[in-house]
Amino acid sequence: MTTSPLARLLIIEDNEEVLRSLKKYFTKKNYDVVTASNGLDGLKVYENDQDGFDLIITDLVMPNISGVAIISLVKKKSPQTPVIAITGWGEHPEALATEAQADLVLEKPIELDRMDRFISDLLKKK
Amino acid sequence: MSPSKIKQKAPAIIGTSQAMERIKDLISHVADTGLNILICGESGVGKEVVAQNLYQESPRSSRPFLKINCAALPDGLLESELFGHEQGAFTGAERKKRGKFELADGGVLLLDEIGDMSIALQAKLLHVLQSGEFSPLGSEKEVHTDTWVLAATNHELEEDIRHDKFREDLYYRLNIIKILIPPLRERPEDIPHLIEHFVNEYAYQFQAGRINIPGNHMIAKLCEYHWPGNVRELQNILKRGFALGNWDEIIDELFRYAPASIPSSGQSAGAMGRSASVSSLSGLDYRTLNLDDISLKDITRAAQGRVEREVISFVLEKTGWNRSKASRILKISYKALLYKIKDLNIIIPH
Repeated sequence: MTTSPLARLLIIEDNEEVLRSLKKYFTKKNYDVVTASNGLDGLKVYENDQDGFDLIITDLVMPNISGVAIISLVKKKSPQTPVIAITGWGEHPEALATEAQADLVLEKPIELDRMDRFISDLLKKK
Repeated sequence: MSPSKIKQKAPAIIGTSQAMERIKDLISHVADTGLNILICGESGVGKEVVAQNLYQESPRSSRPFLKINCAALPDGLLESELFGHEQGAFTGAERKKRGKFELADGGVLLLDEIGDMSIALQAKLLHVLQSGEFSPLGSEKEVHTDTWVLAATNHELEEDIRHDKFREDLYYRLNIIKILIPPLRERPEDIPHLIEHFVNEYAYQFQAGRINIPGNHMIAKLCEYHWPGNVRELQNILKRGFALGNWDEIIDELFRYAPASIPSSGQSAGAMGRSASVSSLSGLDYRTLNLDDISLKDITRAAQGRVEREVISFVLEKTGWNRSKASRILKISYKALLYKIKDLNIIIPH
């Protein structure tokens, strides 16, 4: 028996390994997961999507369109959509992510169970 | 000076390579965002053309587009050009002057060669980007500006940050969106399209029928050349050929000054140095350029890149590509060597 997904997530991350593991983990947790491997593709998915995303997870440092840009654009279009920023160790655009109104900034390596709890909390608050 | 409000069409972005298609796609998606954009690429790749396209596709296209070259002016003058000054702010400031940030209000300001800006001015720029406010020289009042800032550079800013030449916080603030234009040698499939574009452009200027168009064989040769001066160099060579028609001679010259391949193990860099001319060292025949296009900095940088590439390749070959050993011999850090291998596109032989 299949249950309907808990929520629809968009994950944008240019590290394929991280993207794969996030997709695998959250799909297993019964989320409907859509992924993009860079900022431009992520933005296109977001702009062309008809069903709407309940939450967005984006890496901060990516080629072409950065996570900070994604957060700014998402928050401009739908301020109520929660966005989680993930950042690599030693990268310092966290302040910009907060300024762009990211709901949460998490540093890699990501603890998936902890992230899952944060997502549940953010979705409840929505 | 009042900024021009005449709406001009931006020059087209020419090329069908994957990289250029991606850039056109990126421009159409980000031109209306107003987010800071960093445009990177070697000299002559067309960074300003990208900036003009962003401007023309933006909702600000009816407002001013201003440009300032941060490498062309001494620090004090650049500061006054950017932020303006009050009357009597310094010796010679006889009247009040509005800065580019004030003139470009509501429009776009392109900060060209941002990598050459001093650390002190970088701090002032960061303040404007953070707060949207600045003080003209000699004034205590903050002026508000709504200027969309585009920055362009041929520097590897990440490397400049490591050497404390560029502020990391400013880098992240400018690098919200990055458009990297690859050098022409990495997209030779664009060369015939560029030639066609310049044929059309100059045929109009030269009067139809009076332009010497290169034959297919010549175009094929032009596609093989490595174009260290990128599209600007191609344009200058074409302009010369269109006027004179001496394509054989032009192509001979291009390849005569092209750099020798990486030396074999028996050849030392010193032996090369004795007979090297500026053109063979830099790979850039500055004699074919218009005087306005000659930049000592660009030629020196090109020559430095070639020397570094040759010496590093030689040492890597000698050490069997043992990078730790090579970095010790070269007396640079291991990290710097890895960066240079990547930056100079030195490929491990199979």
